[in-house]
Amino acid sequence: MVPQTAVRMDEPELIRAAQQGDQRAFEQLVRLYDQSVLRLATNLLRSPEDANDIYQEAFLRVYKNLHTFRFDCSFHTWLYRIVSNLCLDALRKRKVRREESSLVETNEGYLNRMDTVEEPRADSDPERSLESKQVREKIQEVLGGLTPRERAVFEMRHYQGMRLRTIGEVMGTSEEAAKNCLFRATQKMRAALGDFV
Amino acid sequence: MTCEEARRNLPLFVYGELSFDEEELVEVHIDECAACRRELAREKAMFAALDAVELVPRPEALAQSRAELRRRLALSGGKSGAKSGAKLEVSGARGSGFWEKIREGFTIHFHFAPGIAQVAGAALMLALGFLTARFAPHPLGGYFSSAGVMAEPATSRVRYVEPVSPGRVQIVLDETRQRVLSGSVDDEAIQRLLLTAAKDPSDAGLRVESVDLLKNNSQSAEIRQALVYALEHDPNAGVRLKALEGLKQFGADPDTRQALTQVLLKDENPGIRTQVIDVLVQQRHSDAVVGVLQELMEKEDNSGIRLRCEKILQGMNASAEMY
Repeated sequence: MVPQTAVRMDEPELIRAAQQGDQRAFEQLVRLYDQSVLRLATNLLRSPEDANDIYQEAFLRVYKNLHTFRFDCSFHTWLYRIVSNLCLDALRKRKVRREESSLVETNEGYLNRMDTVEEPRADSDPERSLESKQVREKIQEVLGGLTPRERAVFEMRHYQGMRLRTIGEVMGTSEEAAKNCLFRATQKMRAALGDFV
Repeated sequence: MTCEEARRNLPLFVYGELSFDEEELVEVHIDECAACRRELAREKAMFAALDAVELVPRPEALAQSRAELRRRLALSGGKSGAKSGAKLEVSGARGSGFWEKIREGFTIHFHFAPGIAQVAGAALMLALGFLTARFAPHPLGGYFSSAGVMAEPATSRVRYVEPVSPGRVQIVLDETRQRVLSGSVDDEAIQRLLLTAAKDPSDAGLRVESVDLLKNNSQSAEIRQALVYALEHDPNAGVRLKALEGLKQFGADPDTRQALTQVLLKDENPGIRTQVIDVLVQQRHSDAVVGVLQELMEKEDNSGIRLRCEKILQGMNASAEMY
């Protein structure tokens, strides 16, 4: 029988234990990263169901292929490579824009940062509230118009706070290429939001 | 550096992705060029607007995804790539899933000869019968009902094994049983359970729901203490937000204010920091608020929150910097 880990291990120990079939170590490994994985997929796909599909597929693949992980890169990079490939495939397969417009109407299942960061008095100021809503819709529209790669790089840099070098590793490209993607994404944002900011 | 070059570099400048030399050149240019300073301010305003559309999955969604993953891993039949080939089998009438297999190390495996197995099985049944007979009514008082007590343990763990005679063994089991309790959220016993659940490290969804129920009784010092603890220490932002909701009405309480101040300076979630600012500002302790907002401005990197602090400090005729 494979011994089940009972004590807190650091990440390399967890990975090695999970590679040896320690289920509890695998669970701990999942829990180290699954919140940020779901968050990335949610923001990239803007659909609760699709984000959950990515979550499931990503961790099932990790489970099946963990034995091939050789510590050549960080586990985070390896996992995000799987997640970003799945997200890119999903983005390429569907028309993002149409699905996003429906999500803007019903944010069910999610905390929208707008709800917590927005000026609380905005509601009492109809003009300001309308402006915020317009900005939000405009941003959704621009995000929908980005190419899948631009979108992924932007999400990982802006919302996940990942460095461009890491994003390059995750996306299987150079830091310079990731930088160019980010630059194009922000240019498109600026062009579209010029009247609002 | 020309204005065109500087503006081209502004997004990467704000992201901190320029090289040291490039950053230096942009900073020098911005110091000297009012038009590019305005462009930088617009760039930061755009970043703040982008921050505001981030979607954060609710803890319930995460809990559902985790539960589904358990089911799917169980259905996959444990075809992991583990080197040892440790296989996840479907076993038992209940809890045949992957997660249940985590406790595989704690369950009993008999590999005795058939005759011995019968004897050992009988001894085990006796032990189980003994434990079931000893299964006392729950020690919790209060006015709530208990239903659905499961006849079989939800989990069991072998605590102690001892051969008692040739072919016989004595086994002591620790068992966990599930039961359904219902009652008023004002009931002390129910509240004790909720307080425990609010600290369950393994389930953020459970903590959110528990804190959500507790926050309506924050007049109780014990519950308020638990809310403060959750706000300061819970790793999940959803749980911290719920705790904060319960503490809003206690902005005037010195201990709560002290905790809120710490959270404002330490919490990584901008939504929570923003709400804490609102709670602190509502109270008439302007000197203390000015001090903490100035301290926040020294390290805050969220442009939306910085703007908000500046506005509040302006309204209080205070400088945005500490001297």
